[in-house]
Amino acid sequence: MQWWCAAQNAAWSWTWRAYPGVWLFMLVIAVAWVLRLRAAGTRPDRFREPRRWAFVPGWLLMWIVLDWPVGALGAGYLASVHMVQFLVLALIAPPLLLLGWPHRSAPAGEAARSSGVRFFTHPLTTLGVFTAVTIATHLPVTTDRLMPSQLGAFTIDTVWLGAGLLFWYPVLIPLHAWFGPPLRIACLFALMVLMTAPGAMITFSDLPIYATYELAPPIPGVTPLEDQRIAGIGMRLGGSMTCWIAISILFLRWARDEERLLRRELAPPG
Amino acid sequence: MTPPASPLGGGQGAQSTVHGRPCPDLATAAYRAARRQSGPVRWPGHGPSSAGRRTVGSVARLVALILFHGLTGCGGAGEPSAGSTDGFRGVPLVPPIPRSDFTLTDTEGRAFHFAEETAGRLTLLFFGYTNCPDICPVHMANLGQVLERFPQDVRSRVRVVFVSTDPERDTPARIRAWLDAMGRGFTGLRGPLEEVNRIQARFGLPPAALPAETGTAYTVGHAAQVLAFTPDDSAHYAYPFGTRQVDWLHDLPRLLALGAR
Repeated sequence: MQWWCAAQNAAWSWTWRAYPGVWLFMLVIAVAWVLRLRAAGTRPDRFREPRRWAFVPGWLLMWIVLDWPVGALGAGYLASVHMVQFLVLALIAPPLLLLGWPHRSAPAGEAARSSGVRFFTHPLTTLGVFTAVTIATHLPVTTDRLMPSQLGAFTIDTVWLGAGLLFWYPVLIPLHAWFGPPLRIACLFALMVLMTAPGAMITFSDLPIYATYELAPPIPGVTPLEDQRIAGIGMRLGGSMTCWIAISILFLRWARDEERLLRRELAPPG
Repeated sequence: MTPPASPLGGGQGAQSTVHGRPCPDLATAAYRAARRQSGPVRWPGHGPSSAGRRTVGSVARLVALILFHGLTGCGGAGEPSAGSTDGFRGVPLVPPIPRSDFTLTDTEGRAFHFAEETAGRLTLLFFGYTNCPDICPVHMANLGQVLERFPQDVRSRVRVVFVSTDPERDTPARIRAWLDAMGRGFTGLRGPLEEVNRIQARFGLPPAALPAETGTAYTVGHAAQVLAFTPDDSAHYAYPFGTRQVDWLHDLPRLLALGAR
């Protein structure tokens, strides 16, 4: 029995398979969230805050892409499904998990007092780390070396999640006073631009670049090159769409806050 | 007829395993080359001040390095994965295997005389079966997709011949439909398994191994390499499972030229 989805040299089968490592991983995250919620506040309505429940779809999406069948298909059969895993683990689930995670409320800048925290949550660092992880984990040599082993596949999945959480943290949590909505929006734009390189490399390659998917037992209806192109286009479209949704939300909130501020300033005294 | 001394070492010698997936030695060589190339990255020493700025610099350098390696295809499809030292990516057969004759039935029901029908042409011979879940469809589909990249005049000089090692289930119609899904103009042959195994032995390949009890769903053990008979009527190279499209793209023009020397 496998504990984590990895590339197998066996024909694809729709027979269900258990991945206990995935269940344990998901259980640990769920328990940590519940404990954190209980510890975070004393108000009885803390579970009723709508924002807290963003954690649930994030957690469910993670489970879907890590477990059978999506996890198994992505690990060893289809590069396009592997890309869906990347998009969910690095770009879609992390902001939902962060929104639902109860953070200690601290005035902007206070939490980032220590130089270590300041450095690791600096948007340039998080953007750099996310880009480096995205590129490094999509290099053929990395994918072909890591995906056939369970530990390697686990490493890729957790590195994606970690890089996603790191990137979204300063975008969603007010740690740095100077990092306001305009800079956050700029950060998301920069991410879209930086993701172009790996997306283009995958989309426009003339040949299958990943031995893992080229030599995998075939899935009828799609050639390795078509599958790879779908993956590349998915990376560009999925990444851009996620960023645009986040940009829209940030912009609307920013506009709403500015409007409130303006109204307050224009309101007659007394 | 006594089979010739096998340059393939029993038919499976060219295969090794990388992370549980059978790969040719040439792929292992590519992985090793990529690992050597990527090597440990050493950054300049760090002083006591401006540590954060220098770390940002290191991260930026790492990103640049990764970008460079990624875009130049280091270790990927662009990496030469030759196991041989003569520029070919196949496994050399020493001595080369002569294009000896055999006769089987093609998918139209006609007798196919191998040596006569393929003489002077680059012929890629593979023994497999259409219910094969992994090796056969990957080999045939890769060949079909690569051949599509060559102009018609080059394609017409290459012949792909597939011999079934599972004549029980591989009917002529099934072989035809399966090959047509893999590539254009592939030749499919079948005959009694004993005869197919005799032919394989002649080429130094192991016999097909059927399970003792054959119901409707079973797998057949068979040789995993494609033999490339060049226009000089000898097979100088074998292409084991793990041969990638990039390897075929690299070697096919060279194989065509090999016989023209």
